[in-house]
Amino acid sequence: MNMLSKAFASVLLGATLLSQPVLAETPPNMLVVGLSMNNILTLDPAAITGKETVQVLANIYDNLVALDAVNRSQVDPQLAESWTISDDKTTITFKLRDGATFASGNPVTSADVVWSLKRLMKLNLAQASFLKTHGFSAANADASFSAPDEHTVVVKLPKKVDPELIVMTLGIVGPGSVLDMKTVMGHDKNGDLGQAWLTNNSAGSGPFTLSQWASNERVILDRNDKYWGDKPAMRRVMFRHLAESQSQRLMLQKGDIDVAYTLSASDLKALETDKNITIQTNGGSGFYYLAVSMKDERFKNPKVREALRYLIDYKGLNDSVLPYFGKLRDRPVPAGIFGALPNAGYTLDVAKAKKLLAEAGYPDGFSTTLRAISDAPFMNVATAIQATLAQGGIKADITTGTGDQVYGAMRERKYELVVGRGGGGQLPHPDSNMRAIVYNPDNSDEAKLTNFQGWRTSFYDAKLNKMIDEAVVETDHDKQIKEYQDIQTYYADMMPAIQPFSEVVDSVGYRSDVKGLVLNPSWSTQLRTVTKSR
Amino acid sequence: MTNERLSAFTRQAGTILATLCGLLILTFCIGRLMPVDPVRAIVGEEADQATYNLVAERIGANLPIWQQFFRYVGDLLHGDFGTSIRTGQPVITDILHVMPATIELATFAIIFGAGFGVPLGILAAVKRNKPIDHTIRFLTLIGHSMPIFWTGMIGLIIFYAALDLVGGGGRISDFYVGLVPETTGFVLIDSIMAGDWEVFGDAVNHLILPASILGYSSMAYITRMTRSFMLDQLNQEYITTARVKGLSKGRTIWRHAFANIRVQLVTIVALAYGSLLEGAVLIETVFSWPGFGQYITNNMLIGDMNAVMTCVLIVGVIFIALNLLSDALYKIFDPRTR
Repeated sequence: MNMLSKAFASVLLGATLLSQPVLAETPPNMLVVGLSMNNILTLDPAAITGKETVQVLANIYDNLVALDAVNRSQVDPQLAESWTISDDKTTITFKLRDGATFASGNPVTSADVVWSLKRLMKLNLAQASFLKTHGFSAANADASFSAPDEHTVVVKLPKKVDPELIVMTLGIVGPGSVLDMKTVMGHDKNGDLGQAWLTNNSAGSGPFTLSQWASNERVILDRNDKYWGDKPAMRRVMFRHLAESQSQRLMLQKGDIDVAYTLSASDLKALETDKNITIQTNGGSGFYYLAVSMKDERFKNPKVREALRYLIDYKGLNDSVLPYFGKLRDRPVPAGIFGALPNAGYTLDVAKAKKLLAEAGYPDGFSTTLRAISDAPFMNVATAIQATLAQGGIKADITTGTGDQVYGAMRERKYELVVGRGGGGQLPHPDSNMRAIVYNPDNSDEAKLTNFQGWRTSFYDAKLNKMIDEAVVETDHDKQIKEYQDIQTYYADMMPAIQPFSEVVDSVGYRSDVKGLVLNPSWSTQLRTVTKSR
Repeated sequence: MTNERLSAFTRQAGTILATLCGLLILTFCIGRLMPVDPVRAIVGEEADQATYNLVAERIGANLPIWQQFFRYVGDLLHGDFGTSIRTGQPVITDILHVMPATIELATFAIIFGAGFGVPLGILAAVKRNKPIDHTIRFLTLIGHSMPIFWTGMIGLIIFYAALDLVGGGGRISDFYVGLVPETTGFVLIDSIMAGDWEVFGDAVNHLILPASILGYSSMAYITRMTRSFMLDQLNQEYITTARVKGLSKGRTIWRHAFANIRVQLVTIVALAYGSLLEGAVLIETVFSWPGFGQYITNNMLIGDMNAVMTCVLIVGVIFIALNLLSDALYKIFDPRTR
C-alpha cells in the first residue's frame, strides 16, 4: 500500500513540476486565426476550392482589382490603378500601378498578369470555371490576354458578355490572382507550370508571404517587407487548424487565438455576452434552398412546386435555425446586389399548400425523401422543413450524408428533395447567381452540366435562358437592372425547382482589441488592415 | 533444429504477408464502397465535366477499380507509396511528420494508463468488495463508458479554460512555433536536443491533458483487466498455501500472484498501446493534435486512397510488431513457452 501511494504521489508531483504557467495571449504583432482547414488541399490559386483557402490566399496574392468589402457592387483598384472598357464593350484595358513588386523582389509587370491568366486556362483546374463560363478557354487564351507594354494588360472578350462582370471576376481570389512568372517557372516540373511547387509555396505580391503550410495543422504567413502598399501592422499571421468550434471558442476566450472563423451558431450565441469578444456578421455567398428534381413526376407539376413554396417557414427558419448563417431571402439574387428585387414575402401557408396539392391530384399528400448534409445547420433546417411539409400532408424521410452523398445525388439527378447551399454569389453580379441556380442551356442527361444547379434539378425554360443571356450583354445599366428584375419575377412565376429561403451570411468572432477586420462577402478578407491594441 | 526454425520463420513471415495483403484488399474495397469522390474533393463543387475528367485521369480515378488496386500494389513493390491528394507530398513524408505527434501522445498515455491502471487493478483485487474496490471500479467504469471527445472537452473547460493549468489545442503555443528545429519530429526530444527548456515545458503543458485523458481511458481498461486477472490468481490454492507457510501478504501478492499475470498484462498493454497509436482520432480532433489518427480519418473522408492504404499498412505492421514483441516477452516471463 505504501509503495502504491508513493508511486501515485511521485507521478502527480512529476506532472506538476513539469507544468509551467501557460502563455495566455498572442503576441501583439502576430494575429492568430482559428479555422477548420479540412478543405485546404492546395495553395495554388488556380486549383483551390472553398472559402478557407480563399481567406488565406487573399493575403498572399494581389489581383488587378479587388471586390469591395462594404459596397458589394464596387470594384476597387489593386495592381491595376485604372481600367477602361472599349465603346463596343469587347475589350478591357488595365493600367498597372508603378512600383509594385512581388515578394521575390521581381517587379509586377503586365507579362506576369497575362501569364497568370493563361496558366489558369491551360491548367483548366477548379478556378478556371469562372472564366470558362464566359467563353475563355485554353485555346483562345493567347488571343484573349495580351500585354502591349509593361504596364498595360488587354483582355479581349471571346464572346459578348457584360465587361463589368469580367472585371469583377478578375477581382476574385483564384481566377484573378497574379503570380510571379519568373519565380513559378523557376520551379516548373515537366511542364506543370509550377503546380506541384505552388501547392505549398507562394509567389505573390500581397501583404504577406507563405512561410509554412503544414496540412491540417497551420499556415504561417510572414509580412512581405517588399509590399507596395501600406505596411501591415502584423508581422506574422498564423492560421490554426481548429476543427472543433468549441475548441475555437475556448481558445478565443482565453486569448490564445485572436479571430475564430468557423464557430457554430451555439458558440457564437454564447460569445455574444462576452465583452472581450466581438461578433461580426457580413454578407456571404449563395443561398440555402429547397431543391426538387423535376425528373420526379410529382415535382414536374408546377402546382406541387408551388405548394412546396408555401410549406417552408421562412421566418421561423431564419430566426431560430439559421441565425449567424443566413438571412431571410426568397429571391435568387442576394440583397445588395444590383437588380435585386425585394423579397417576394412568401410565408408558411398550409391551407394554400393543401389546396394546391389537391388541385395537383394529391389531396392526401405523398411520401418522399429529403436529403441533407449531416452537419449543422443543414440537419436542423431539414428537420424543420420536414415538420412543415408534414403539415401539408407530405411525409418526407430525411436521408443524411456527406457532401458527396447529397450533392453527388444531385449531380446524378437521382434524388427527390434536397436542402442545400449554393447558387453563386462570390461575384457581386446577378449573372453569377442566375447561372448557378437558374440557367440550364441543355437539359439532356448526356450534357452532364453538373456545374449548373439548374441542370441538376432538370428545370429547363428556353425563355428564361434567353433572358439571362440577354441581360448579361445589355450595355445600358438601367435597362440591365430592369431585365434582371424581370427575370426574378418570371422565375418566381415559373415555380422554380430551387426555392431559396435564406441568403448565406458569414459570422466570425474576434477579440475586441482587434481592430480593422472587415469581412469580405467574396471571402477575400484582408488582414493587412488589422491592428491589435495590447 | 535449424530446419525447424527456418520453417517456423517462413510460416510466420507467410502469415504476416497474408495478413497485410488481406488488410490491403479489405481497405481498398471499403474505400471504394465509401461514397466519397477524391476527384470532386480536388476540383470542387462548381467544376465542369471537362475539369473533372482531366483530374480523374491525372490521379488515375478513371481506371477500373482492379487496375487502380494493382497500380497501387505495383508502385508499393517499387517502394513508392504514392502522393497524397491533401498535401501534394509523398505519403511517407506526411506520415513521418504526423507519426511522432501520435507516438508522443500515445506513449505518455500508455505510461499513464499502465502506470496507474496496473497498481489500481491490484489494489482493487486485494481489497475486493471493500469501499476502495468500489471506488476504483466506479472510476474505471466512468473512464470506460464516457465518450472520449466529451471527456476531452470537459478537460479543456476545467483545466485549460477555468484553472489555466495546461495549454489548449496544438502541440506547442503559437509563440514557440519554429523556435526549435524539427530534427526528429518529437517536440519533446527536439527541444531537449536544442537545449530549449522553455519550449520543452510548453510542450509538456500541451501534452499533459490529452495524454492524461487518453491514458485515463486506457487505464480504465487496464485496471479492470488487471483486477480480473489478479482475482483469478488470488483464488488459487497456491496463494493460500503461501500464506499458510507464513509468507507476508505483500510478498504473496507481488512475488506469486503478480508474477503469474505479467504475461497477460503485457499483451493487454501492448494492444492498448497499438489502439492508442491508430485510434486517437477523437482526442486529436478535440485537441487539434496533428497526429496519425486525424491524418487517416481526414484522408478517408476525401477518398485519398494512397494515404489511407499506407496508413492501414502501417497500423497492420504496428500490431504485428506488438504481437511479436508480446510473444518475445512471453518467452522471457514464462519459461514454459521457451
